[in-house]
Amino acid sequence: MNETIGLMFQIFMICVAVAVILQKNNFTIIILMSVYSLIAATLYTFNQAPDVAIAEVAINAALIPLIYVIAISRQRELIVFDTLHHGDIGPLSTFSGEIYDYLYTFSKKHKLRLNLCCDLDGSEQTLMQEMNVDLIITQTGTTFVLKGKKNNVLMKKIVRELKSHPTIQTELIEEGVHLD
Amino acid sequence: MIRRLVAVPLLLAIFVFAFFALDDFATLYNDFGRVYFQENGFYETGSLNLVTGIYLDYRLFDTLFEAGILLVAVTGVSWIAQHEHVEHNPLFMLDRFKIPELFVSFARIIYPVVLLFGIYVVFNGHLAPGGGFQGGSILATALLILYYIDLNKKTNLAQLFFIEKILYLILLSVSIVSYFTRGELFTNVVGPEAGTLWQSAFLITLNVLIGAKVALGLTAIFIAFLKEGR
Repeated sequence: MNETIGLMFQIFMICVAVAVILQKNNFTIIILMSVYSLIAATLYTFNQAPDVAIAEVAINAALIPLIYVIAISRQRELIVFDTLHHGDIGPLSTFSGEIYDYLYTFSKKHKLRLNLCCDLDGSEQTLMQEMNVDLIITQTGTTFVLKGKKNNVLMKKIVRELKSHPTIQTELIEEGVHLD
Repeated sequence: MIRRLVAVPLLLAIFVFAFFALDDFATLYNDFGRVYFQENGFYETGSLNLVTGIYLDYRLFDTLFEAGILLVAVTGVSWIAQHEHVEHNPLFMLDRFKIPELFVSFARIIYPVVLLFGIYVVFNGHLAPGGGFQGGSILATALLILYYIDLNKKTNLAQLFFIEKILYLILLSVSIVSYFTRGELFTNVVGPEAGTLWQSAFLITLNVLIGAKVALGLTAIFIAFLKEGR
């Protein structure tokens, strides 16, 4: 009986492993990976290794998915550093102006979470390298300037869309050379 | 294409070698070790769970290096994730980090239970399945859940790393004590003649040290990840 259950679990494990490869949505993949390690833990228990099973459940079914969730959420954010406003930043609706409307529609179009921040110190290059800031808003006279990394895919799209815009200009910043 | 053409015969060769290597498996597999540990394990180590008996008594030397590997990994993560800039408002990233209400409410119920279970696994490691590493990772999971519940939580990362290094040093010194009491390095402080009670006291001490070290290390890695995007 135990052998039959073990065999069934092994087949199920292979199915889940294939599903992880075929799946496109990142969060579904995380859930499937924790399902995979839960099945693996069950198999360890069947083979009389409860110590390993506890470690497998604690690490691969609980800890690693939590870290993955954080890492993937970070990838889906458009971090914008606003030099015009200082102090606390409220919800986006309190800001009016062409540039905020544009950023809002842009992030909605590409399914990114817009993250405006203003309390940052440092030069533009260190901000972009160390803090992963995607865009920097500055103002010269009445025109807004959007600065971004030169080899950023999002920045290329923004440059293409804003080519003939009257009040918003774009500026590309060369990324510093990494020594490592 | 050429790479694939090379890879297919290579994989086939590995498969064939592995298949023929299994022939010797019957002669390689013997139960000398199993019989020895079943007969003498409990008397020599004082641990009902023979796995704990092996990794905290017979193979304590390996365990020290295992703990050292985690220390090196945590140090590497902290070195990569370090920032030099000043953070005026370090929470600006977290309060836009939306977490489902259901997850938060459920985590509030489950948090004390997970914490208690982790402590139980650490302290009961020499009697039942479990031990320092397993209990430590359960404790780390509980601490991570705390970060999802309370977003305004502030942690001093440098302090965490410092405590972890101190714990590793204590672990090293506790395992060296046996040289002065029994004349052997990296084994139990008291011999089998002292009784199971004193032997298990040593096992619990080491399990607690390893559990605390693992929990702190994994939490530190997680917090480094949490701070990385800012």
